[in-house]
Amino acid sequence: MSKIEELAQAIEYGKLKEVPDLVNAALEEGNEPIEILNKGMVDAMSIVGDKFMKNEIFVPEMLIAARAMQAGVEVLKPKLAGEAGATIGKCIIGTVAGDLHDIGKNLVGMMIESTGIEVIDLGVDVTSDKFIETIKANPDCNIVALSALLTTTLEALKGTIVAIKEAGLRDKVKIMVGGAPVTQAFADEVGADGYAKDAAGAALVAKDLIA
Amino acid sequence: MIIIGEKINGSIPSVAKAIAEKDADFIKNLAIAQTQAGATYIDVCASVEDSIELEVMKWLIDLVQQVSDLPIAVDSPNAKTCVEAMAYCNKPGLINSVSGEGDKMDIVFPKIAETKWDVVALLNGNKGIPKTAADRLEVFNEIMDKAKQYNIAPERFHIDPLVEMLCTAEDGISVVNEVISTIKKEYPTIHITGAISNISFNLPVRKLVNQAFLVLAMNAGLDSAILDPLNRDMMGMMYATEACLGKDYYCINYITAYRENKFGPVK
Repeated sequence: MSKIEELAQAIEYGKLKEVPDLVNAALEEGNEPIEILNKGMVDAMSIVGDKFMKNEIFVPEMLIAARAMQAGVEVLKPKLAGEAGATIGKCIIGTVAGDLHDIGKNLVGMMIESTGIEVIDLGVDVTSDKFIETIKANPDCNIVALSALLTTTLEALKGTIVAIKEAGLRDKVKIMVGGAPVTQAFADEVGADGYAKDAAGAALVAKDLIA
Repeated sequence: MIIIGEKINGSIPSVAKAIAEKDADFIKNLAIAQTQAGATYIDVCASVEDSIELEVMKWLIDLVQQVSDLPIAVDSPNAKTCVEAMAYCNKPGLINSVSGEGDKMDIVFPKIAETKWDVVALLNGNKGIPKTAADRLEVFNEIMDKAKQYNIAPERFHIDPLVEMLCTAEDGISVVNEVISTIKKEYPTIHITGAISNISFNLPVRKLVNQAFLVLAMNAGLDSAILDPLNRDMMGMMYATEACLGKDYYCINYITAYRENKFGPVK
């Protein structure tokens, strides 16, 4: 088995401790950093997402796989700097104003990151002004991902989309929405471009929105 | 043990459907079943848009009170809704909930100070769900300071230490454990509650995780719980745990609950 294949397997099974050494071993074998990223990590995570959607694995297994990938990316980052294709897009993510939940949002952020999209996480209780400011500061941002966990903050989610529109930025970004009370019908109603019911689905939606 | 029956909640799809279709019998049956199963309070949460929340709350509370004498737990993330829904209740119940967030306590505490209403208080503040036990206890102290100002006795509080899913927790239930035992040491008469089934999200065979958590949390001092009283295994485990903890004189409650068909083989 090549080091890239070993790396992919270690990521798939969330073996965080083995990952940094395998990344270095793959580099020593003479592989290009971008190939290690795509074949050794992104592809492995897409298998993980796929297994999750087929109910073959559970959330914690997806979580440790994503953490293992993050550990690998840390090692690879200095080698990837400036290399074309190292990231395929940029996504701003946050839980909307008045809502303090972050477990689901964090998982979605990690899974989107695992597709090779750069993620800027604004945290929880994020005002629409903060989203707008960050979109303006990142003209290369393709996606804004909004999370709400409470029925009472669905309004804030809707309001954030309206505010982005009023700021004249709606055409600059795709907007995806999610969270326990969010449904496809709600996503359609508020004019979102994408919706997913779980983190693995969100990663697929994000990739589609960029393509 | 205080049981807050959780089944009338608009975030449950079948209940959302009953609300949308004005299916009064469906709601009444949930109230009757939970009453028979041994609930202490019937929780009522509309989980609908702000504009119709109060109207739906009133409809639900009226239906429950037609068939059950149990007090209501008025449940909304919006403190104003909780306070306004108090007027629909025939007797003092439970506000579910306040927290250290925003002006929730200032909205609720003055309205319940001179009443016999109890209140659930969640240990999150303005900065999100605190990750550490120390940060949750800081929110707890803010809540108790405010309670003193309004002269609300500790035994009227059901403190929710915030039960989060085990599958993304770094260190099991250690945070919740520490929060519960610290609070109980300081305020022996205060109630500790929690939404038990939160613990098992995204795990297989959730009922086992729920039961394991219930036992450990009760051992730490949990004496109130937001759960489904129709879950016979859970109720049985609760009675058994109370007996093991020495809170059930000669197992009489355990035996009585069994005789009343609250757990064990269905009679």
